[in-house]
Amino acid sequence: MKTSREEVLRYLGYNNQIIDNSTAEIIDECLLEIQQLTQGKYTYKLFELAKTEGKMALLQTNLVFSSVDIQAHLAKSTKCVLLAATLGMTVEKRIYYYSKLNLTKAVILDACASAFIEAVCDEAEKEIQIIAQEQGYYLTSRYSPGYGDFPLEVQPQIIKVLDAYQKIGLSATENYLLLPRKSVTALIGLQKEPSINKNVLDKCQACPNLDCPYRKEGKDCAENN
Amino acid sequence: MPKTIDFTQFIVFDGGMGTLLQTQGLSAGELPESYNLLHPEIIENIHREYIEAGAQIITTNTFGANRYKLQGSGYKLEEIIKSGVEIAKRVAQEQWVALDIGPLGQLMEPLGNLSFQAAYEAFQEQVLLGQEAGADLILIETMSDVYELKAAILAAKENSNLPIICTMTFQEDGRTLTGTDPLTMVNIIQGLGVNALGINCSLGPKEILPLAKEILTYSQIPVIVQPNAGLPKEIKGQTIFDVDPVEFAKYIKEMAQLGVTIFGGCCGTTPQHIRALTEALKDLKPVVRQIKKITAVSSATKTVVLGTGVTIIGERINPTGKKRLREALKNNDLEYILLEGVEQRKRGAQILDVNVGLPEIDEEQVMLKVMTELQSIINLPLQIDSVRKDVLETAARFYNGKPLINSVNGKEEVMAEIFPIVKKYGCAVIALTLDEEGIPPKAEDRLKIAQKIVKRAEEYGIKKEDIIIDCLVLTASAQQMEVQETIKALSIVKKELGVKTTLGVSNVSFGLPNRGLLNRTFLTLALGAGLDAPILNPLDKEIMDTIKAYNVLWAYDLNGAEFIENSKTDEKIITSNSQSSDLDLAEIILEGIKGEAEAKTKALLEELTPLEIVDTILIPSLDQVGSRYEKGEIFLPQLIQSAETVKKAFTVLKEHLLEKKESNLPLQREKIILATVRGDIHDIGKNIVKILLENYGYEVIDLGKDVPEEVIVERAKADNVQLIGLSALMTTTVRNMETTIQALAKEKLPVKVIVGGAVLNPEYAQMVGADFYAPDAQEAVKIAQNFFRDRS
Repeated sequence: MKTSREEVLRYLGYNNQIIDNSTAEIIDECLLEIQQLTQGKYTYKLFELAKTEGKMALLQTNLVFSSVDIQAHLAKSTKCVLLAATLGMTVEKRIYYYSKLNLTKAVILDACASAFIEAVCDEAEKEIQIIAQEQGYYLTSRYSPGYGDFPLEVQPQIIKVLDAYQKIGLSATENYLLLPRKSVTALIGLQKEPSINKNVLDKCQACPNLDCPYRKEGKDCAENN
Repeated sequence: MPKTIDFTQFIVFDGGMGTLLQTQGLSAGELPESYNLLHPEIIENIHREYIEAGAQIITTNTFGANRYKLQGSGYKLEEIIKSGVEIAKRVAQEQWVALDIGPLGQLMEPLGNLSFQAAYEAFQEQVLLGQEAGADLILIETMSDVYELKAAILAAKENSNLPIICTMTFQEDGRTLTGTDPLTMVNIIQGLGVNALGINCSLGPKEILPLAKEILTYSQIPVIVQPNAGLPKEIKGQTIFDVDPVEFAKYIKEMAQLGVTIFGGCCGTTPQHIRALTEALKDLKPVVRQIKKITAVSSATKTVVLGTGVTIIGERINPTGKKRLREALKNNDLEYILLEGVEQRKRGAQILDVNVGLPEIDEEQVMLKVMTELQSIINLPLQIDSVRKDVLETAARFYNGKPLINSVNGKEEVMAEIFPIVKKYGCAVIALTLDEEGIPPKAEDRLKIAQKIVKRAEEYGIKKEDIIIDCLVLTASAQQMEVQETIKALSIVKKELGVKTTLGVSNVSFGLPNRGLLNRTFLTLALGAGLDAPILNPLDKEIMDTIKAYNVLWAYDLNGAEFIENSKTDEKIITSNSQSSDLDLAEIILEGIKGEAEAKTKALLEELTPLEIVDTILIPSLDQVGSRYEKGEIFLPQLIQSAETVKKAFTVLKEHLLEKKESNLPLQREKIILATVRGDIHDIGKNIVKILLENYGYEVIDLGKDVPEEVIVERAKADNVQLIGLSALMTTTVRNMETTIQALAKEKLPVKVIVGGAVLNPEYAQMVGADFYAPDAQEAVKIAQNFFRDRS
């Protein structure tokens, strides 16, 4: 599992500048370092969905969502996978270490970690894809708390349902931040027809951060370089 | 009536609770502890089944009953714990009831935002409620973070008299999620006064076996194992544990034969597993183990065992005779101190001495801060060095691991002060062979003091292996005849007492020329006499080379492999040092070549004054870099590289001025507070703003991350600050920007606030009540410049 230099540059706000040798060298070092530090950990579970007016529940859990956007995202799904992934504390510690002693490296490693956790999720999604295929389903794209009107406040519940603290060391703070920082929780729908939202276009458009440098007209945040 | 537990016999715990509750209808995400109130009969039945299967201790259904996990559940901690204990007591006859305490589910500082004190308070509540409800003992289980476990143990010990059993949970790589290995766990925990320790959860009995062996090798207290019924397997979205009772019992038997005496089951285990386990133990007796007694100190993730080679204790974090460090301590310049730590580790230090004793600072608070910061970035165990009891006690309490205390000596009064701290917090301690009469000149008398110290320590329950004797080095210039007495004392102390030894080597050469030569010659003599852990300066290459040579000659470095490898890299360093570029300082800054800034700045000081360098080179270069960034000619990492390069140059100038005893650079010294707001732990963005502002001469008061409103208000008042920069990355924490701004307004402080962070935009900034919005660090500098220009 690895992540590309382009992805990392995107997180660093790169816009076709000339990259000097020393910066290029640090980026390459950090790309290597992140892979040596972690494989990432993830855990997921498959649930049946029960939809009633204005609400959507994951059966055999106490999760009920009233967010319009997550329901739209899973409109055609009858099942969904709850996914939690993290790069763990080693990465966190190393970024912290550099933030005290070498800020350039801290910033670059942080960007590598952001790119890498997405790669870990992709890896998990490949497994989920196989399970879905066996049952004759297609996957929707990943949808996370914080997108659209799907609130961050559901993070602690997702962690509880997946027992993610025990399994992968993931926790949520009182302000619903995930810790370790480089972590993701997401829902992936399973539906009988191919998903038109499988590309991440609407994920970017649904994001509340209108000034995000990766948000570009007609382009989505994963493709703008 | 209190029941006593015989820890010399086998003890059988119950098995899993959660997995059984799921079969009774508990849905994922639902609070298992709610069943104490909703379905007490189900809990009661589970307890009963375990008792019938042979459990001698039943565990209350209170694993997640803490203030953090109950938050928002609608249940009160008191009712959950009280009912949990009461249900168990209803069923228990001669069985004991263990109050179950699990992890709080929050991550500890500095990477998380749970403080040691907050963790302690949360555990304290549980302990008090559980004891009051009538629990017979406390089970602290499934811990991943040894620091959180330490808080829990202290809370249990300080608030109850109940026996304590604790377990940590390990992953397949043999470490806990936060990186603690079995030896480190044992070394830290067994000194804290618990009755038994061990492993549970995460793994099946097969995977636990090798880890249990490691624990059995070192643990001087009984060992507990509570495995899962195998590794969890996810089948069609369900978690399955597939080790059946027969197989489970087979491993339990094997572990019993190795010396484990307390057993139980965790996830996936059932009354059938406990029945099979009880059956397997029937014909066995607890075995007497061969326990390895070691002298060792630990950080949370690393244990250093003395006596397996030369253990190097780095002495550099000590202000005695160090102007720059004194300055750093006074100005709260933690970065300099951290660098001292990192450098020593790079050069081969295995333990770091930390002494922050200066009359003009609050030693206790500074020690705490320096210790915590060092522990957050360096995994070496620390040696806490102070003459003050209160400083040692606070440090021992908040230290993450098993610290080395420096020091105690043969004075009765000092032993009476220090030994209780060493005992309570499970520390190792350096003991100096001096007493009320001073340092005896003769080796035999120093031995007598060492004997007295070891004996007195034993009376406090401190083991001999936790004492490291320092026979004290006298200076050859003043007491030449006694230098060899130290060597002699060292050798007889080792022989007679069998303890590990340390010496502060460089004292020997005080007042003489060519100190390095004397130091390393003395060190060689001392190592030959059996010195285990010299305290020295690891940045002194020659003394480190002496140790490397010694390691070859004493067969610590087998086949001289390391020695040969090191000799190769030495050659490389010599050749690479001869290269340097032809760039001038301005070009070095623009290119962001950090490594060359220092030498070039030093060279420039031959021709220019520090102020000239700032005015004609540093500031214009910074401006140029800033403008290139704004135009999009360079991107963020390049901006930071240049900023760090300028910072290196400034460091050289500051040190130059300190040497010359001149006052600071006559730049603008307006103060700006920077903080990541309460609840948010993202601070890289804030750190980028900080370095840029500092380069432009502002005095940045960096309050760190997760900073409560009142701390910002207090500091703004105390330092009369006019400009504050707040950072937050998440929509949920941007709200705390607003509360901070309101708190400042409420106090009617004449401050303006800049906000920044990924989810902010100008409208949002206005909404939270900020005066300025900075989309990036360069913009923050401009805002500060304009702000202070308008004021003046």
